[in-house]
Amino acid sequence: MKKLGAGKMVFIVSWSVLLLCASLVAAAQDRIKIELNMGQERPRIAVPDFKTSTGDPQSAPLNQVFNETLWSDLDNAGIFDMVAKSFYPPLQPSQPGELNAKAWSDPPPNAGVLTFGNLGVNSGKVEVQGWLYDVKNVGAPQILGKQYREDATPDNARLIAHRFADEIIARLGGGINGIAESRIYFVSTRSGAKEIWAMDYDGANQQQMTKMGSVALSPRISPDGSRLAFSGLTKESWQIMMFSTDLGRTVAFPRFSGDNFSPAWSSDGTKIAFSSSMHSGLSEIFIADSSGANARRLSTGKGDVSPVFNPKTNGQIAWVSGRTGLPQIYVMDADGSNVQKMTDQGYAVSPAWSPNGLLLAFSWVRNYGPGVLGGQDIYLMDIASRQIVQLSHDGGRNDFPSWSPDGRHIVFQSNRSGTEQIWSVLADGTHLQQLTRQGRNSQPNWSFK
Amino acid sequence: MFYEREQWKKPLLVSVGFHGALALGIFLSSLVMNWRSNANDWGMKPGDAITAQLVSASIPIPHAEQSNNIVATENKGMTQTIPQPKTETDDGITIPGKVTPPKKTPKTVTETRVQPPPRPIPTPTETAVPYGEGGPVSGPYGSVTTSSYKGGFSFQDADFGSLYGWYVDAVKRRVQQNWLTYEIDPRIKAPHRAFIEFDIQRDGSPANVHLAQSSGVPSLDQSAIRAIQRIDSFGKLPKGNSVTVEFWFDYPPK
Repeated sequence: MKKLGAGKMVFIVSWSVLLLCASLVAAAQDRIKIELNMGQERPRIAVPDFKTSTGDPQSAPLNQVFNETLWSDLDNAGIFDMVAKSFYPPLQPSQPGELNAKAWSDPPPNAGVLTFGNLGVNSGKVEVQGWLYDVKNVGAPQILGKQYREDATPDNARLIAHRFADEIIARLGGGINGIAESRIYFVSTRSGAKEIWAMDYDGANQQQMTKMGSVALSPRISPDGSRLAFSGLTKESWQIMMFSTDLGRTVAFPRFSGDNFSPAWSSDGTKIAFSSSMHSGLSEIFIADSSGANARRLSTGKGDVSPVFNPKTNGQIAWVSGRTGLPQIYVMDADGSNVQKMTDQGYAVSPAWSPNGLLLAFSWVRNYGPGVLGGQDIYLMDIASRQIVQLSHDGGRNDFPSWSPDGRHIVFQSNRSGTEQIWSVLADGTHLQQLTRQGRNSQPNWSFK
Repeated sequence: MFYEREQWKKPLLVSVGFHGALALGIFLSSLVMNWRSNANDWGMKPGDAITAQLVSASIPIPHAEQSNNIVATENKGMTQTIPQPKTETDDGITIPGKVTPPKKTPKTVTETRVQPPPRPIPTPTETAVPYGEGGPVSGPYGSVTTSSYKGGFSFQDADFGSLYGWYVDAVKRRVQQNWLTYEIDPRIKAPHRAFIEFDIQRDGSPANVHLAQSSGVPSLDQSAIRAIQRIDSFGKLPKGNSVTVEFWFDYPPK
């Protein structure tokens, strides 16, 4: 009897365990549902390759450049769920007439929006037709239809892809324009001396800007993109210099006594803030008109550097000060009043104010000192709540963050690959990309648009 | 001993059989549900459609929300929840017809409002229109649901929602991103709902942001208004000179 009873006990216990498992499965399923709900916030976009529409031998290579650029632009935008190409139906349209919307809106692609089109080279010109369709809205599917025509070069194929991607993002991004046509300015040693270089936002098309032959640092492009402010080493001292991107040469800017560093534009382009030792021999924050006239002193600290305007209001300036020992981030009103200390620990430098004015990105050695673990990483601070999020984790020294104009990306300098290079990342920490590989590259600055 | 076992055998077997069947049933049903919801949907999510066509995939969520929140929303909640289940099923066809004469319906709405409220709302006619307008009255064009908060919205021009679902969706996403719930008094326990109304102008900028109906919690009202005010532009309107949008913000989510 005892044996039998034990057998029954085992039987009952195993059933109750099964029952428990079943309820656990049900509970876990609930949690997953919530996550799915959050994930639904991003449109699912299908981006089949554009088709070549002419037999010109240039068509195929240009089309490949175009397709790669368009895909990476949309993927980099950070606002889409990209439908994997293996899910696409076999027949991919190049014209609206060839579109079978249902094949795209149903699983497996299950796309919300679809972009398609064709590219052809005709007598030395590349012509692109592109469409964006809301495939789940059968009644009025077309969101966008565009046509482009440029000289047939790979650069132009890239440019057209950038423009088309920006059009798509402008429609689906809720009013925040795309960044595919934006540029990044940075310091590179690849010509021998430290000079200012520029590249597309994805690292393509790298070009040298300045040819100083000495040292040029901290490039800051003006909001309209026409002028580039930087600090250059002259025979006597460091000076704020101005480079015209239209003329391709440095233009006049007043020189001040002492050393002058780290210029920063207000987002309306009327003011420049910079750090100068002209007053006391110690660096302090100054503000001047964009022409360099009417320079006024704002701060009275010692070791005040790296000012940056709140681009939303231009009413506040964040900067780095060593007034209490190790450098920390401070914020003040643009008239020098209302000084607030934002960080009170470690070694915090290189503030960058997000375009919407809500966040500060900065580089921080959280626990600074000999023998202390932890590297120099990029952090984001929500200014109103002072909540801090760590953005970079993967080692190396990470510094000089700069926001993209859409506020979704951050470009920064890191030596995680061995040498100082420029990297970009989405502001949520995903999509990390290395943009430069040649020479040593540092101090990136993302254009305003 | 042998006799004793004989006596217990029958009831024990019955009991084990019953429990076994019960457990098996629960296990199988959970498996079936799990399989149905996740396994084969290819990343399909409820309400994934960009087309926020009137009452689309997100029907069930707002219902529960609204009915539960009648206390918080007062008369508005009443007018919404009651007609909703009926209008939903056939609204796919009926709405376009209903939408064209928007001025007819306000009358009925004002009537219904006269009945329940002990006190009038500050901006009665404006808020009344979208709610009396047939389908969209009861069902929102979409709802915002995450683990931390919920909300919903409707556009006054019903045609707009069905033609430009992608735009509606982008507006929804943008507001959601800009609603910072940490601004809200954390002591709130009972659900509250704030109604915000605003226009989207031709260039996409929001204008006329105002509180259509207070939630009774100033910090929630404030955070909802700020969520809209923080936005410079929703992107150029695909059609027309301006669109009126009503958003509601539920906090805390249930």
